[in-house]
Amino acid sequence: MLDLFARNRVATLIVVLAVAYAAIGATAPGYLSGSTASVVISKSLVLMLISLGTMIVILTRNIDVSSGSVLGLSAAVLGLSLNAGAGLSLAIVFCLMTGAAAGAFNGLMVAYLGIPSIVATLGTLGLYRGIMLVLTGGRWIEDLPQGLKALAGNLGFGFSAVTVVVLALVVLAWVFLRKTRFGRYFYAVGDNRAAAHHLGVPVRRVQFTAFVATGLCAALAGLVFAAQIGFIPNQAGNGVELKAIAVNVLGGVSLLGGTGSVAGVFSAVIFITSIDSALVFLKIPAYWNDFIAGAILLSVLLLDGRIRQIIDRRIRARRYAVHERGPVPSDEKTTAQTLEAGR
Amino acid sequence: MTDQAATGRVAQLTDIWKSYGAVPVLKGVSLALQAGEVHALLGGNGAGKSSLMKIMSGVIPANSGAIEINDRALTQASPAHAQELGLYLVPQEAHILPNQSVLENICLGLAASPRALRPRVEQLVAELAVSLDLDAQAAALEIAERQIVEILRGLVRDARVLILDEPTSALTPFETNALFQRVRKLQAQGVGIFFISHKLREIREICRTISVLRDGVIVLSGPLDSYSDAEIIDAMSRVQITEASGKDRSGRKVSQIGQPRLSVRGLSGEGFRNISLDVRAGEILGLAGVVGAGRTEFAETLFGLRPQSAGSVVFDGADLKRRSPRVCIDRGLVYLPEDRQQHGLFLEAPLFWNVSSYLVHRLPFFLRPGAERKMFETFRSSMGIKCTGPGQEARGLSGGNQQKVLLAKCLSARPKVLILDEPTRGVDVAARNDIYDLIRKLAADGVAIILISSDFDEIEQLADRVKVMAFGQSGGELTDDISVEAIARLAFGASEARHA
Repeated sequence: MLDLFARNRVATLIVVLAVAYAAIGATAPGYLSGSTASVVISKSLVLMLISLGTMIVILTRNIDVSSGSVLGLSAAVLGLSLNAGAGLSLAIVFCLMTGAAAGAFNGLMVAYLGIPSIVATLGTLGLYRGIMLVLTGGRWIEDLPQGLKALAGNLGFGFSAVTVVVLALVVLAWVFLRKTRFGRYFYAVGDNRAAAHHLGVPVRRVQFTAFVATGLCAALAGLVFAAQIGFIPNQAGNGVELKAIAVNVLGGVSLLGGTGSVAGVFSAVIFITSIDSALVFLKIPAYWNDFIAGAILLSVLLLDGRIRQIIDRRIRARRYAVHERGPVPSDEKTTAQTLEAGR
Repeated sequence: MTDQAATGRVAQLTDIWKSYGAVPVLKGVSLALQAGEVHALLGGNGAGKSSLMKIMSGVIPANSGAIEINDRALTQASPAHAQELGLYLVPQEAHILPNQSVLENICLGLAASPRALRPRVEQLVAELAVSLDLDAQAAALEIAERQIVEILRGLVRDARVLILDEPTSALTPFETNALFQRVRKLQAQGVGIFFISHKLREIREICRTISVLRDGVIVLSGPLDSYSDAEIIDAMSRVQITEASGKDRSGRKVSQIGQPRLSVRGLSGEGFRNISLDVRAGEILGLAGVVGAGRTEFAETLFGLRPQSAGSVVFDGADLKRRSPRVCIDRGLVYLPEDRQQHGLFLEAPLFWNVSSYLVHRLPFFLRPGAERKMFETFRSSMGIKCTGPGQEARGLSGGNQQKVLLAKCLSARPKVLILDEPTRGVDVAARNDIYDLIRKLAADGVAIILISSDFDEIEQLADRVKVMAFGQSGGELTDDISVEAIARLAFGASEARHA
């Protein structure tokens, strides 16, 4: 029973989410509707992409805190090339290449130069934001062409082009991580690096690839951001990396690497975004958002920590019980008995 | 023995040389392994066993020499390459991915998917007659099961050569029997096995040929039947270099041994059970045994780091029921841990912080670094610690000097009973002699010392009395006739000794 809850964060989240939805729906009629769902999904896209990328890095037992800056930098490249007259598809290619290059630089430092990922990405968090500011001269990028904004426009049923792309990417990531050999390597490297190396897994290449994938996801998030908002402020994406890490933890991705699923991250993103929309319906002032999100995150984690402790204690007890079992040499028994008798 | 399913040579090592820096560890080792042969590989600490294994399995490269596995040469130092040629190393501690399923653990790194390999793995599991839930999470596996996972990894890679590195060190006699049955099955299938172990009794049971490694050279090799236990132990433990300061315990008079300090009765805990011992002021009690005999667990339980499940500990007449390291330190029961990098030193901190760290809870709120530095300087001159000054970071010192700092830390707490866990591991000869002198001096000053060591020479040189632990239990005691051979007999072949 405990095992089920510890292992199945997705199930836990869905149950909590369902209960929460039912309660909110009861108190605020009109909340449970197609339009709410569409709002929640489109609002969640940026966080979804950043969290997905962060998850891939965390799986390999690294961390990336630079994705917010990569988002900003790629969005700036997108905006600047559009305003310089580049076509939309060419600008998108530039944008994604920027993200991939930024991720590759992170990956180079971590996987091949051996710099701890938290240090490397804290450095590039500042560096990439700085490059963005230099490129834009510190100004916001406005007057983006209509073609870009149309990507976030409703195509029907509340779905936009970017929504379709992001959801497709989520499915793709799920298939890749669950169903392919290379995907399995990401889990293996984070779970036990020495074992993975011992069994012939290309550890460094896996770590490097994870950072490139994260950079690409962040660039795509920059594109979604620009398309949804219609302009690119200096601080685009600022702080989203920490929110993404929190989402990962909530979604059952272990910061120690090796565990976590796309489904968990997906549900956690929906969960966090739903809180925002629910508060509006419950007429709770928006400044309560962070407090409530933080409180929920902490309570889930505290509960989870307790469960894990109990399981660890059981495993430990079982391990040392090895010495209590098995045939005991007969003379040893008699020693014990004489000792008992002597007392 | 069993009929061979296949014959012929499966592994050949020719003239392997290896040195780390200027220190040679392997000096021209040659070995051959036939199909269906279980070949015992013995050697003491530092004999070069683990280097030889790492070279064979592609973890590190050799300086020179040739390795052939199934008549193909091992050309690059990579574990994957060695596995491809058909050699698999089952390490002493299984490499387990705790969050993956058992099946995924077995199949990781192979081209085919776990699902495709499942029938084959199931067949191997059936052939070995083990019960293993392939869908369980690996974190929950017991040690014996983890070993099975490693063996299955080798088999699923079609290994013709398996290296089993002390496979029974964490197993109960029952599990050991089951493992041996599996080894015999593999043998019948023509798999060649290098069996590394410290336990002569087990080697007699399962192996047909033996090679003994000492100081990087094979000193004995051939059919196991033609050697007696005594010959093997002798070949393994003959002291090569007579210690420079060859003083023995005759320097101290036995009359100096005083009243009992610590008395342990029937102590049981994680990894050991029913251990009783006494140690008196001024006495050095050697606690000998092979790796995994439960000595460190015992010491950690004594020091209050692990929970005890039964038994009593009486220190200076007071029953220490609820122990914590703080209580032990304050009373004068001090433990020098085995792993100085992980449990002993604060590597980034200055040396004088390290030395005063056992006392830090007694220091005033506003620290007096001057006094701490002075204390360090006292130890520095009395112990001959080589460093640039009290402010140097511990990381920068050599192993021997780090060990001295660690000892100084223990002494700063003014111990009455000092537990030394492998005090000279990874320490050069000169520093080792300094440490020996220091231990003798401490005993002469009336400190009761429990010396845990896997180096039987060390125990022979220092101890007044020896307690041997084997398989987590008491393996016997020696008072008068303390010799490497006698200790080895108790530690390696515990059951014979206990019946004797």
